[in-house]
Amino acid sequence: MISVSNALKQKLYGLHYKNRLILPFKAHFLKVIVNTEIITDFSPGSKGIYLKEDETFTDVYFYDYADLKSIVKKFDAIKLIVVEKDRNVFNFDNHMKLALYLEDKHYLKIEKVDEDILFVD
Amino acid sequence: MPSSFRKKGLLSLALSFLFSVSALPFSLQHSSADTLSHAQTAVEPVSHGLPATFMILPFIILLIMIATGPLFYKHFWEKHYPKVAVFLGLVVVVYYLAVLKDSHSVLHTLAEYISFIALLSSLFVASGGILIRVDREATPLFNIIFLLVAAVFSNIIGTTGASMLLIRPYIKMNRERLSPYHIIFFIFVVSNVGGALTPIGDPPLFLGFLAGVPFFWVIDNVWYIWIPALILLLTVFYFFEKFNKKEVDTSELTGKIEFKGLKNLIYLAIVIVAVFVDPAVIPWIPSLSPLPFGFREIIMFAVVYLSFKNADQEALKANEFDFEPIKEVAYLFVGIFATMIPALQLIAHEANILGKELSQGVFYWSTGALSSVLDNTPTYMNFLSAAMGKYSLDVTNKMHVIQFVSLDNVYLRAISVAAVFFGAMTYIGNGPNFMVKSISERAGIEMPSFFSYIVKYSIPVLLPIFAVIWLIFFR
Repeated sequence: MISVSNALKQKLYGLHYKNRLILPFKAHFLKVIVNTEIITDFSPGSKGIYLKEDETFTDVYFYDYADLKSIVKKFDAIKLIVVEKDRNVFNFDNHMKLALYLEDKHYLKIEKVDEDILFVD
Repeated sequence: MPSSFRKKGLLSLALSFLFSVSALPFSLQHSSADTLSHAQTAVEPVSHGLPATFMILPFIILLIMIATGPLFYKHFWEKHYPKVAVFLGLVVVVYYLAVLKDSHSVLHTLAEYISFIALLSSLFVASGGILIRVDREATPLFNIIFLLVAAVFSNIIGTTGASMLLIRPYIKMNRERLSPYHIIFFIFVVSNVGGALTPIGDPPLFLGFLAGVPFFWVIDNVWYIWIPALILLLTVFYFFEKFNKKEVDTSELTGKIEFKGLKNLIYLAIVIVAVFVDPAVIPWIPSLSPLPFGFREIIMFAVVYLSFKNADQEALKANEFDFEPIKEVAYLFVGIFATMIPALQLIAHEANILGKELSQGVFYWSTGALSSVLDNTPTYMNFLSAAMGKYSLDVTNKMHVIQFVSLDNVYLRAISVAAVFFGAMTYIGNGPNFMVKSISERAGIEMPSFFSYIVKYSIPVLLPIFAVIWLIFFR
């Protein structure tokens, strides 16, 4: 299992295909923001998002968007708040803010959210 | 005037707006606002039929869908709102062209829309390329000072410019203790009430300026209403802040404020100067009539292109610059502008009939009520026209407007204050409201729905303040 920190350290890229993201890490998900939609329900019955963990990566499906590329533009990002699997989710210091940028050839650039970017936990 | 009469007048206006205007066509002395993009200060009188009352249905349907869409059928609405807005707008446009044979109203509204979107998009793009880094945490007192300064600022670069430029640093400063009320009060103070002091502040005042209201008339006559309104708003805000017990660790903050992309200030300055590029203000500026835009709009759209092309990429990335918020405003307001043509004409008609009987209080509440959900610019002009009708003066005549201002300030004051202040009542009351909402949601802030905004904030906070203003100044 690759941790979020390791993925960031190694500058690993994820992938994006239409409404699917493939993230090269596993984590506890607390919040996802796409466009103006704030998703916090990750339960199995959630209508907006579906998370599926594989051995080495996490699949994220967005049911409400046929193609993420059409709504997440050049300077825009999909934003996540996640916690490392082995960390305490109740400690806000462990909440990691990530920005995912959809790049060409299905690459998904993963960055820790820049201090300049507005992102409220 | 006895209060019962005032109530009757207000009721009559409201009812006529919704239900009671006859569907029979008859001549209408056109009194609606003229476009910002046109050389004239107001529309020349045009005779054509009044629309049937049922033609306000597309407008009501659009308002209901804007209010309920994000709540009850969010994904349908997100996907299809452009089609809905354009379709409902087209229903009205086709009715005007095919049934009323009135292309004038349609072209006039198109010109207003182009002016509106040119100003909004140029301020949005130019300010989107400026990054203000604030490495400090706001305290309640600092927030109050910030909002007050921003309110003053909104008179210099307009409520849209000030909102776009300052919402991000404001959110950043409050990130540790941010609640939706922070954003709502920003909308109240910076996106609306603040801009009541100059014609640059808010479009209706600018239109009044083009019509002949002296530039400094607004500040001379509104400052003593603006100040108590802001004091009341910020006092309520202070109490919200007092009950916000979220603790903040400020130990690692340096208190520094930095700017990036400052060259875009030049573009902002160009937009502000362009506001005055109008044959009504500078006679040697040629009018492009019959085109539905003028040199001002050409300059503003050029600023959109150039300020985006030359913007600091780091600033754009940090601001997560995206055309989506302005696209949303552009689509929704294309529907709002088109569907409100019949509503505004019916109001104008009733206002002109009732004009002589209406008190300042009725002007205040009627202009306010309609500015809450309609575009406040034509609302302002329609009620100005009705108020001038009391003295048999014509809003299309600049000398008449000057004469009216010297004769009686009170009606114009009521109309000016209400048109600007009441824009804060709903998300659709003023262009920047929606943009601030959109930026906040992208930052992860769960904003109240259309109804929640009204029920939780507008009615309990704004209405009592507006009632106090009415009691003191317009009763």
